[in-house]
Amino acid sequence: MNASSWHTDDTLAARYADGTLPDSDAWSLEKHLEQCGTCATRVSRAVARTGTATVLAEVREAVLAEARGAVPAKARGAVPAKARGAVPAKARGAVPAKARGAVPAKAAEVAGPAPLPTPVARPAVPAPRTHGARLWSSRTGGPRASAPARPLRPFRSARTGGPGGTSALARVLWAAGPAVRGAWLVAVVVVAVGAVGLAYGAGVGGVRPLLLAVAPLVPVAGVALSYGRHADPLYEIVASTPSGGLRLVLTRTAAVLGVSLPLLTLAGLLLPASGAPGAAAWLLPGLALTLASLALAGYLGPRAATAVTGGGWLVAVLVPALAGPGAAPLARLAAPGDTLVVRLTEQLSRCLDGPLAQGAWAAAAVLCAALLAVRRSAYDRLDRR
Amino acid sequence: MSTIRVTGLHVRHRRTVALDTVDLALGRGVHGLLGPNGAGKTSLIRVLSTVARPSAGRVEILGEDVGDPRRCGPVRARLGYLPQEFGYYPGFTVSEFVAYVAWLKELPAADTPAAVARAVARVGLADRADAKVRTLSGGMIRRVGIAQAIVNDPDVLLLDEPTAGLDPEQRVEFRALLRELGATATVIVSTHLVEDVAAACTEVTLLDAGRVAYRGTPASLSALGERTGPDGMGDNPIERGYSAALRAHRTGAEALR
Repeated sequence: MNASSWHTDDTLAARYADGTLPDSDAWSLEKHLEQCGTCATRVSRAVARTGTATVLAEVREAVLAEARGAVPAKARGAVPAKARGAVPAKARGAVPAKARGAVPAKAAEVAGPAPLPTPVARPAVPAPRTHGARLWSSRTGGPRASAPARPLRPFRSARTGGPGGTSALARVLWAAGPAVRGAWLVAVVVVAVGAVGLAYGAGVGGVRPLLLAVAPLVPVAGVALSYGRHADPLYEIVASTPSGGLRLVLTRTAAVLGVSLPLLTLAGLLLPASGAPGAAAWLLPGLALTLASLALAGYLGPRAATAVTGGGWLVAVLVPALAGPGAAPLARLAAPGDTLVVRLTEQLSRCLDGPLAQGAWAAAAVLCAALLAVRRSAYDRLDRR
Repeated sequence: MSTIRVTGLHVRHRRTVALDTVDLALGRGVHGLLGPNGAGKTSLIRVLSTVARPSAGRVEILGEDVGDPRRCGPVRARLGYLPQEFGYYPGFTVSEFVAYVAWLKELPAADTPAAVARAVARVGLADRADAKVRTLSGGMIRRVGIAQAIVNDPDVLLLDEPTAGLDPEQRVEFRALLRELGATATVIVSTHLVEDVAAACTEVTLLDAGRVAYRGTPASLSALGERTGPDGMGDNPIERGYSAALRAHRTGAEALR
């Protein structure tokens, strides 16, 4: 398709203008028109010989009238329905010099800043399929923006904020990732509210040790649901962007921690102490387990890593509580709840209370953070891990 | 001037070899990536999109070695990638989805709205910009995928089976968009539809069993088909050329053994 060797003739231009040229030929012609002024003029003349030119002039008149702010009733009403739909589409394809330049540019100007009572730039009726209307077809049959959509209207959407850009809130939510938007958030609220409800509503004793045993798992689960092939439907695209990798992992983890730490600690504070460690005692273990999950994710992938750390914590806390000295573990499961809660409280105290335990958790957190920093490039491609 | 240079590329999925010593140099234009299922088309595109890591070999995109994670970031900002299968967040509208990808690609916030509107309009979804993605048909979702890939006006655009789910008319329109994009960018389109390649591509790379079986232009592939005559497999010269090139590669590979 060389611009210099091939040109339209009057027959071809006429067939293009009246829409009888087959699709494939029309495509070639349009491509050629982009670079050949002579042929563009020829097609332009061919269009002028059809009825389109008159309608086009009317549309132009109406658009200019709108632009001046003085909107005579005639312009609004008199633009024939077919002109609103068909002509701009036609104009775009068939009269490149005129339509692409002058008319839609004006239309864009009009449709942009000032909200219009009847925006002429938007077809009010479904455009009939003409050969000129060759943007992507939509099957819906509804109003199509196939009219002067090329010279773009400035983008506006009430939901994503004004013309200045997307709203700050939207960006914060984007950064938070899938977990904080999805089922995980509901789960956190259910755990926190449920714990308080159990303690005061149902009068169950020893809810705080239970909450402390569960709390470190919550941010770990949040991490599992934030990143990676299994959790993020957008993962494949995310992984190919500069934001993918450790930075996005950390941003999303921060969001997870930002939601779960205050909520669960507050719930813990509201619960009766019943001999359990303080409500904030889980914070360092929670952080350490979260960071350990991230560090392990560099080797195992997020899903396996969070399963290992979360499972490890449960084993460390529950197994000694279930398998104390004396009766068989199964009998112990059936034992009165109080005994179990007492054992759990003892085990939690061993894990969480005192400067030694807390110091160990802090050290673990620092160690995992250091490992993360060293292995940061592993997060670029978590694929197949 | 090659924007993509691949040397000695090996990709392995567990025990199966997806790509075996692939060498390629691709410049501006529309490159069709053809081949039977399992030939390694998706593996190659995923390596080029920096999502998958090759087991061996060197991949240079826009002059940077993307095996080096520190060089990856700037290259990724200039990439566009449509995966074969991609998901979306159910609550997002078309323009929110595209704007989100623009944010991931670190487009300046001030430019994002205009870039999003342009990308959405280029795939013909301007009238659906505020519709939830989950309410769209399969073909429209595919177009949303194309919009997110082109939102940053990428220098390298990787499209894995972009015409799947588009009806014939939409495919014709899509090819025109491809030609337009190929004027300024390196566009790589994997497809198993030979006619897409014939209509839209400037160059053809044929993969078979993880190796490059043929490189040329749609015209040279057609010429190969003409030579085999009408008794070759396929309904038109380029399809016959496709099967002839595959056959030639396979017999050649047998002979080497």
